[in-house]
Amino acid sequence: MITPAELEKLATLARIKLTDADKSSLVKEFDSILNYVDQLKKVDVSLDTEGRVGAVKNVTRPDEVHSTSPADREGLLNEAPDREGDFIAVKKMIEQ
Amino acid sequence: MNIDLKTLTIQKAHEALKKGEYSSVQLTQAYLDEIKKRNPTINAYLEVFADVLDQAKKADQKIQEARNNNQDFPLLCGIPCGVKDNILIQGHIASAASKILENYHATYDATVIAKLKAEGAVFLGRLNMDEFAMGGSTENSAFGPTKNPHDESRVAGGSSGGSAAAVAMQGALFTLGSDTGGSIRQPASFCGVVGLKPTYGAVSRYGVMAMGSSLDQIGPVTNTVADAEIVFNAIKGKDIKDGTTIDEKTYDTNTRIHTNATNKKPVIGVPRDFLKGDGIDPAVLAAFNESIESFKKIGYEIKDISLPNISYSLMVYYVLMPAEVSSNMARFDGVKYGLHKDGANVIEDYFETRRAGFGREVIRRILLGTYVLSSGYYDAYYNRANAVRQMITNDFLKAFESVDLIATPTAPSPAFKMGEKTADPVAMYLEDIFTVTANLTGLPAISIPCGEVEKESKKLPIGLQLTARHGDEKALFKAGKDFLNEK
Repeated sequence: MITPAELEKLATLARIKLTDADKSSLVKEFDSILNYVDQLKKVDVSLDTEGRVGAVKNVTRPDEVHSTSPADREGLLNEAPDREGDFIAVKKMIEQ
Repeated sequence: MNIDLKTLTIQKAHEALKKGEYSSVQLTQAYLDEIKKRNPTINAYLEVFADVLDQAKKADQKIQEARNNNQDFPLLCGIPCGVKDNILIQGHIASAASKILENYHATYDATVIAKLKAEGAVFLGRLNMDEFAMGGSTENSAFGPTKNPHDESRVAGGSSGGSAAAVAMQGALFTLGSDTGGSIRQPASFCGVVGLKPTYGAVSRYGVMAMGSSLDQIGPVTNTVADAEIVFNAIKGKDIKDGTTIDEKTYDTNTRIHTNATNKKPVIGVPRDFLKGDGIDPAVLAAFNESIESFKKIGYEIKDISLPNISYSLMVYYVLMPAEVSSNMARFDGVKYGLHKDGANVIEDYFETRRAGFGREVIRRILLGTYVLSSGYYDAYYNRANAVRQMITNDFLKAFESVDLIATPTAPSPAFKMGEKTADPVAMYLEDIFTVTANLTGLPAISIPCGEVEKESKKLPIGLQLTARHGDEKALFKAGKDFLNEK
């Protein structure tokens, strides 16, 4: 069963901060969920493991711009938490 | 103006608008009045739009123009509807009932919204849901749960609880929901209305927030099967903006249920073995068995069928869905849009933003998905689940060689009490036991009201689920209308 340390690693991979209280309740919930889905291990699987839904196949299209107007772009930029001109602003990544 | 909203259908409203018995403004006002009365307790709507009556006026102009020219107008023109809060309507907030998108404004219309706008539908507002559609009771909304209009101490179901409750409280003539594992059908069952999960790919998902991309579909919640058919026909179709969409020719649906061969009754398959487990409320089973008897009386043949791997469906779902959730939720980073919380540096910003913005169930599913996709577990969980998914699909396709439809209850119980299942995630997940198969297989399925049970002197609705072949929504509509004795 999952340990608090493993949970911490998952949270780091998923970029979510967890408190100690979160961890102890999540360990229990993971146990009950994994116990349940672990029954899958009993299935005799003889198929290849590539999953598909219905007749859906991979679809490609030419790499062309379809419908981005200046107004669309402005609307998108306005939703950013921080913007500078026509750019989305983030904290400095690299120290000088 | 007194309009009987309880018995109103889209066709009836359309005829009334055509004859000028009332205007779209009057019809819309009637729904706004009901929303004002009931929404403060039910909490189906997160927001009622300020421009609703302006939209109705525009629809009335279109209707007047059509009448002046002796022309008909689209069936949904002037019809008031509500939209689940994970579907984008340009200029309006679309929060998915999450703190992380509380102040996010959609910058474009989802394809389904563009289609409804082209018909002239009137958008009343945004409907409550479990955060990012993750849940089975709408108790996971960051903005408070939706209550069941039939008994306010009970849940409306979920995740499209607002969509189902709105129709049940006469707060919209139809609504849109999304269904990843039963999120349209289970709340429809709890609220006594009709809910359709179309074939995977039948309806474009451009502009709906992705949860489980191999499972998600948008569909209608309505009072009648005929209404569900009208809305489905308006929103379906191939869309260049959603590569998974299909067209009329993708599947062959010219099957005997649609031909009037007199010697061949339509056949409904019943997976009896699957209905033997504990955990199914006796009232649900009784209503189901009665429904099957009714189908016999109206000329359907009933056949017991075997779906050998169906008991693994929910386990497969709770591996694949979180895996897809963990990928889809990665886009919420506090940089491009939505909530931003400051940390010590760029990386810390992500941790703070996602912690502050996501609710418990969303965090749980992201972590679970990260786990089943992580090195060392990938084969045991994700790959194995995919293989079993294919086995389940094969079982269904084989069953459909000898039946036209498959019937089960929609949910194992009627609406449960608020808070009853919030402490135990697996108990909540078991709500999806009958509905997830349609998402795993991509098959279309509908929930229709089939009875009720009295609990604590309140009458609670029970739903019947019908599943059809890929692309054969017509079979669902035919059987549903036959069953409910609709024209």
